[in-house]
Amino acid sequence: MSTRTNSPAGSVAWAFWLRSLNEVTRVRGALIGTSIAPLVFLLGTSGQFGRLVGLPGFPTESYLSWVVPLCCLQGAGFAGAAAGANLARDNEQGWFDRLLVAPVARPLLILGPVLGAITRAMVPVTIVLVVGVAIGAELTGGVLGVLVLYLASAGFCAVAAMWGIAMAVHFRTQQAGPLMQMGVFLGVFLSTAYTPQPLLEGWLEDVARINPVSHVLELGRQATVSGIDLSLAHTWPGLAALAGMIAAFGALALVGLRRMGR
Amino acid sequence: MIAAAARESRVVASLGRRALSVQFRRAQLLMPTFVLPLMLLAVISSGTSAGRDLEAFPETSSYLGFVVAGTLLQGALLAGLTAGIALASDIEGGFFDRMLAAPVRRSSLVLGRLAGTLGLAVLQMAWFLLVALLFGASYPGGVLGALGAAALAAITAVGIGGLACAIAIRTGSMNLMQSIFPFVFVLLFTAPAFFPRDLLTPTLHDLAAYNPLTYVVEGARGLLQDDATLGDPLLGTVAALGLAAFATALAVLALRDRARRT
Repeated sequence: MSTRTNSPAGSVAWAFWLRSLNEVTRVRGALIGTSIAPLVFLLGTSGQFGRLVGLPGFPTESYLSWVVPLCCLQGAGFAGAAAGANLARDNEQGWFDRLLVAPVARPLLILGPVLGAITRAMVPVTIVLVVGVAIGAELTGGVLGVLVLYLASAGFCAVAAMWGIAMAVHFRTQQAGPLMQMGVFLGVFLSTAYTPQPLLEGWLEDVARINPVSHVLELGRQATVSGIDLSLAHTWPGLAALAGMIAAFGALALVGLRRMGR
Repeated sequence: MIAAAARESRVVASLGRRALSVQFRRAQLLMPTFVLPLMLLAVISSGTSAGRDLEAFPETSSYLGFVVAGTLLQGALLAGLTAGIALASDIEGGFFDRMLAAPVRRSSLVLGRLAGTLGLAVLQMAWFLLVALLFGASYPGGVLGALGAAALAAITAVGIGGLACAIAIRTGSMNLMQSIFPFVFVLLFTAPAFFPRDLLTPTLHDLAAYNPLTYVVEGARGLLQDDATLGDPLLGTVAALGLAAFATALAVLALRDRARRT
């Protein structure tokens, strides 16, 4: 099926984006889980493992500063995965079938929910950042660093949303929800989540090295970790990792979407 | 009197069996309880094992064997929470109202659900300890120590299940039960689940003294590692039994209140 249509792409994407945002206003407590979970994780992890900064080679003296970007990515990732769960629900209720016969380009059916997820993700990211800074995390990267952290979070949210949508169009059921979340969980935690690469031991040392999310974390950590200063050397690997993952999972979602239409 | 007790125990056993079979029929309920704690164990044991080099870290035979007590605790929390979610599902589906009309004691309805939670928790704990053992954990406390730790965690699961059931009975909402998931982690992270209490940050260290799960996890650790300096099993048993008794009473009271209202 051709993806060329006469419908103006901008207004279609805008309409889908607005519809995705309705989730926030119409579903009571829709943002509670995705906002509270990373916050609890931030407070819990920094309390449990805060003394790890005493290890030789740890790049910052504040463990809070180390985990704030992790929790921002975690919140953004789960908000992204929720886009997949919402699409699976639309599919189960028959709404998505109606969209498939609409005269709009297929990629727009994905773009709207992804944009909606990115917008929703800004809530948990901001909450984690504000609370983190309020209780002692340092903003060593200044305003530019914060912008980079938001960019990393938005990019990771897009990756997670495309992963979730790929799972939703493949399995076509909300029961794939845990799989979507599990993917985000594994992506985030099989990285330099708790300690920097030189301090990792065993199998995780190798997995974290090849996991692209480690680079995205390094990108975000330019905002808060004094040992990871703002520089192109710390920026480009993260941006390249995000671009690669968006391309890979976006293609996976589009292939699934094309199969749905047949 | 004895005949009545025997009849009620048959009711409790039947309801417990039903709770277990429903749990095993829904893979989406099993996934978090059996897989998530193991994933976190894998990530934490590899990601934070450098913490053993900290001065105040106690001597242990294996880091995995030290951290697995936290996994047992996490499993107990999730088993308890899923009991509440399953009960809320029964309330929403109308099954629970039919049970209320049955000629059985109200407390048997709660005890039956919690018997299912106990059964699930026993399976879970055996699974966690076995998988950790296969991946290199050592239990100097031997089989008796492992059985004791599993029993402590299983009783704790009953306590958490009682709290979750009390909330489910009061609210009758599955959505609400699912959204309290992050709050369960507050209980986990305010106990020395993965790191020794002396290495927690000062605020968390003080807070941990008021969390009954602190004594459970330390007791389980003491049993597994056969080292009384890591935790007192007796204190752990008192904390687990106290929580179970208090939470069960709370759930029965909630049920009586609901029965009066409906």
